[in-house]
Amino acid sequence: MGISRRVYPLVTLNPYQGNWTIKVRVTDKGPLRTFRNARGEGNLFNVELTDEDGTQIQATMFKDAAEKFYPKLELGKVYYISKGSLRVANKQYSTVKNDYEMTLNVNSEVEEALDEKKKIPEFCYNVVKIDGLGPHVNGRELIDVIGVVQSVSGILSIRRKLSNEEVPKREIVIADESKKTVTVTLWGDLATNQGEKLSSVVDESPVVLIKKVRVSDFQGVSLSSNPASIMQINPDIPEAHKLRAWFSEEGKDAHMVSAGASLPGGGVRTGSRSIFADRKFLSDVILPTVGDGKPEYFNVKGYVSYIKPDQAMYYLACQSCNKKVTEDSVSSKFWCEACQKTYEECSRRYIMTVKFSDFRGEAWISAFNEQAEALLGMSADKLSELRSQDVESKVYSRELEKVTWVPYVLRISVLQTEYMNEKRQRITIRSLSSVNWEHESKYLLEQIASMKKEA
Amino acid sequence: MDTSNPAPLVNAELLKRYPGRRVRCVLKLVRAEGNSAFSGLTSDGMHVSVKQVPSATSLSQYVEVIGVVDSDRSIRAEMCTNFGDNFDMSSFNQLVQMANSEHQSLFI
Repeated sequence: MGISRRVYPLVTLNPYQGNWTIKVRVTDKGPLRTFRNARGEGNLFNVELTDEDGTQIQATMFKDAAEKFYPKLELGKVYYISKGSLRVANKQYSTVKNDYEMTLNVNSEVEEALDEKKKIPEFCYNVVKIDGLGPHVNGRELIDVIGVVQSVSGILSIRRKLSNEEVPKREIVIADESKKTVTVTLWGDLATNQGEKLSSVVDESPVVLIKKVRVSDFQGVSLSSNPASIMQINPDIPEAHKLRAWFSEEGKDAHMVSAGASLPGGGVRTGSRSIFADRKFLSDVILPTVGDGKPEYFNVKGYVSYIKPDQAMYYLACQSCNKKVTEDSVSSKFWCEACQKTYEECSRRYIMTVKFSDFRGEAWISAFNEQAEALLGMSADKLSELRSQDVESKVYSRELEKVTWVPYVLRISVLQTEYMNEKRQRITIRSLSSVNWEHESKYLLEQIASMKKEA
Repeated sequence: MDTSNPAPLVNAELLKRYPGRRVRCVLKLVRAEGNSAFSGLTSDGMHVSVKQVPSATSLSQYVEVIGVVDSDRSIRAEMCTNFGDNFDMSSFNQLVQMANSEHQSLFI
């Protein structure tokens, strides 16, 4: 065959030295794909090659070479390869940590190594422990994780908005010795085939190694697969054995906590946004540039500092459509313009502004019926009763005072509007909730930690 | 307000830094021993015993103890305050660590 048997470590390869032979295991093999460019069209596929030292490189084969080597290079097998060419890696297309990438053409030589297969590790992995995922959130690098499977969901089908195609997905939860759990979302093939396999053995609490997952901040921290991800069920590696031993001794009865719970955005299990995602101080929100053009939404934590007692507080509302009614002073009935009907009675609905403060600033914020009712603890009808009965305004103003200096988290919308040729900012409460001190403490700790990093 | 003898926030690890000094610590009640003592878990997961507790039978799950450090693992209580049954020990532990290292100047 004429292959020089002097094996070079992958790390020594460069584009200027052509006479090398490497001994590598195919640790990943991509599918045969078709491409079309200005010069024509053809097939291509790539593989990830790993040598004895653990160095990895991506190798691509085009057209004839693709046809020749696709059946020859099998995933998991070891080969002697020579006469390939190297060039600087196009990081856009590669998921492998190497400055170079390799191309094999029809003249390249590939020979299966039938000897000493054990020397080259089956696959390279560099796992991150589940409680160490925090710093990798939203990072660009794909990481590897290993854990004991706690649950496997059924297959869900998601329709991609852009291409309108259906993509299968499955969610699994894994745990490790840190007693933390994390959800891994499997997409596509991984969800269907391997996911199915995992589902069938889930009762045995299998150990699963998943390589090349992306870390996102959904619910604190979440992992998701991509076409480059590889999953191995019960791999024969020391980490897996350690995990299995831990699990059977204490893991299976241990109380697990989600890793995302201690990270920002993870504590609150709302389906949509977390309450810390758009958290701002009032001093940032009242800037004249905010809400210019279209409304912007924020989340603020603070206190109602003042409610003006002599504002309208509420309006007379139609009991059917909630719109404003006008009172006929003669008949004492109420006319609704929208319904085109007269009513005997009307209800009162709140419309008021309150002064809201946090340690950085203050702002006048409008509250409508639901939110104002929550703040004041009584309906507008009840408040109007108090107001009219109370000649000296003592009870009325006391009720208003009770509202102040109670901590709340508000979701507000900010919009610049024009009023009599003047630009004014209108801030409205969309929803409010009482403060969860445990979550706020965790958020504060994260803020302190990130400030430390910047310093 | 008497600031002459401030009680630093501690966990088990920091307890030994203040022998004979007055400290402040939040413990998770493990077992009441009679009516004047109990053993608890600190925010860093170690067992500590507390003596001279006024009315140990009416304590909630989490208790703040202000007292004098007797040994590495015991405190002689001066005052105990019930902190209820919901308390985030991990956040408290981080607070204790910060209050005794980089942000010590803010506390003592």
